Amino acid sequence: MSKKLTKEMKWGGGILSLYILWAILWFGYRFLIKGTFARPYVPMLDMQSELALPFSKGFVLGADLLGRSLLEVLSAGLTYSLTISLIVTIVTASIGILMGYLAVKGPSWLKLGFDLLINLIFIFPSILIAIMIMAVTGQSMQGLIFALIITGWTGYAKIARGESKRVLALTYVEGARAIGIGELRLFFRIIIPAILPVMIVNMVLGISGVVISEASLGFLGLGASPYSWGAMLGAAKTVLLEAPHIAMILSLTMAGLIIGLNLLGDGLRDYLDPNEN
Amino acid sequence: MSKFLNKFLYALLTIFVALTAIFFVIRLSPGDPVETVLGQKATQEEISKLKNQLGLDLPLSSQYKVFLIGLAKGDLGKTIFGAKDVKILLQERMKPTIVLATISVTLSAMIGMFLGIMAGYKKNKGFDKFSRIISLFALSFPIFSLAPLLVLFFSIKLNLLPVSEWGDFKHSLLPILALVIPLSAIIMRVTRNKYLEEVHAQWVIVIRAKGLSEISILYRILKVCLPTILNIVSIQLSVVIAGTMITETIFDIPGMGSLLFDGIQNRDYPIVQGVIIYSTVTYMLIYFLIDYLNEWIDPRTQG
Repeated sequence: MSKKLTKEMKWGGGILSLYILWAILWFGYRFLIKGTFARPYVPMLDMQSELALPFSKGFVLGADLLGRSLLEVLSAGLTYSLTISLIVTIVTASIGILMGYLAVKGPSWLKLGFDLLINLIFIFPSILIAIMIMAVTGQSMQGLIFALIITGWTGYAKIARGESKRVLALTYVEGARAIGIGELRLFFRIIIPAILPVMIVNMVLGISGVVISEASLGFLGLGASPYSWGAMLGAAKTVLLEAPHIAMILSLTMAGLIIGLNLLGDGLRDYLDPNEN
Repeated sequence: MSKFLNKFLYALLTIFVALTAIFFVIRLSPGDPVETVLGQKATQEEISKLKNQLGLDLPLSSQYKVFLIGLAKGDLGKTIFGAKDVKILLQERMKPTIVLATISVTLSAMIGMFLGIMAGYKKNKGFDKFSRIISLFALSFPIFSLAPLLVLFFSIKLNLLPVSEWGDFKHSLLPILALVIPLSAIIMRVTRNKYLEEVHAQWVIVIRAKGLSEISILYRILKVCLPTILNIVSIQLSVVIAGTMITETIFDIPGMGSLLFDGIQNRDYPIVQGVIIYSTVTYMLIYFLIDYLNEWIDPRTQG
């Protein structure tokens, strides 16, 4: 491709690289210097350092309401959030592609069931579904990821259905069929490469969606980890008067990551769009 | 007509499946409301007595039958906690949610459409770039991180608005603001893109050549964009519902969202069922309305 990278892609990619670098640095710090990943921080439980302001008492960003270094908790939250979002996005997109394709190619009862299922998941507030699943599985990592997957795949499936319809009508697919290509080969070698660009754009935008959903569950007290940014924000909300800096730092850090992802996604969309000059 | 009937049957089917799903899922999920009501000191006898009173000792299939018969009579049962009539409770709690949702959706649609058309009209000029950056930021603060910042700024720093509770107009301003900011940003983006798609169409060139004023050309383009915008609003509806739910818990508003949240936490089955019935029916009504509006605005979508 001879097109120049868009400004949005550069900005988004830049911001995102900073976050990834941050996550890697923190990971390396925990792993190489502290030697363990099991306990991401040592709770100080020191009343003196509770709600410490930034640049005081040896904390760069201050301390949260348990007296933990805000920078460390924030970093733990970042790796947690990124890991969950990546896993969930990859799984949901794969399920979505498969379901969307089957909704076009499959038998008619499958199409009807697909419509009904998508409408159902759509109608139920996603938070409700997540609460239900977490109630059954307990507040665990697996439960959280499962809940996010269940509520997240429908968007991809809808897009994949539209895209599969479009691609299946193209002449080269007809050609491939004419020389007797198998169903599996058709799906993996022709359909997937054709719809992948669109799916990747939506996946990049989808990651920020998962970051937000995961954090809102954490905010409502339904997260799987105390390092969820949402859970931290929920705690910070209770000390908004005494320590407004905690809520501000958390919001801005999260917003930065989401801005990076959204910019990259938007830029990619323009970049891959054949209609854009 | 048969198309209408089809849609209606489909809506009924969806509502029915949703109800059935919620009925069984919430009963099968762990946690016992009766034990929560009576506390830890309750004896086995007391527990089974109350269960018997509430009809929770019956097998699930009989409970389901009772529920459906009650529903057909328009009876949603009584809450497990406090034995209030669910229908009356819902009618009380509906008001704040409906007020919040309608005001914020209407306001966002107006602001978003106006700014979107403006941005499209001034493509790549200062206003367009500025509004794109603003909308990027507006979309990057999820409600639960935006709301504390708004409280911080308007209530604590400026001391202009009350922090929480629900009552007069002043109390609703911050929650509405928290809902309007992200929603209007989305609508603005969609409107801008749709406007740019349409503005170079043949018919626009024709009416411009005929000498229509700029304002009436804009009005006609907006009319063509409306179905797309309406669709986005209907897609965003579930986001709005989730948003009001979070907003209600943040600002302590006694609405449907906080009712549902508490109902699930306490396993108060009738409350959860009631909220789900009301919200699915509302969803379906809104879909019908939007479908109808779309056909009315753009007759091409008919048939």
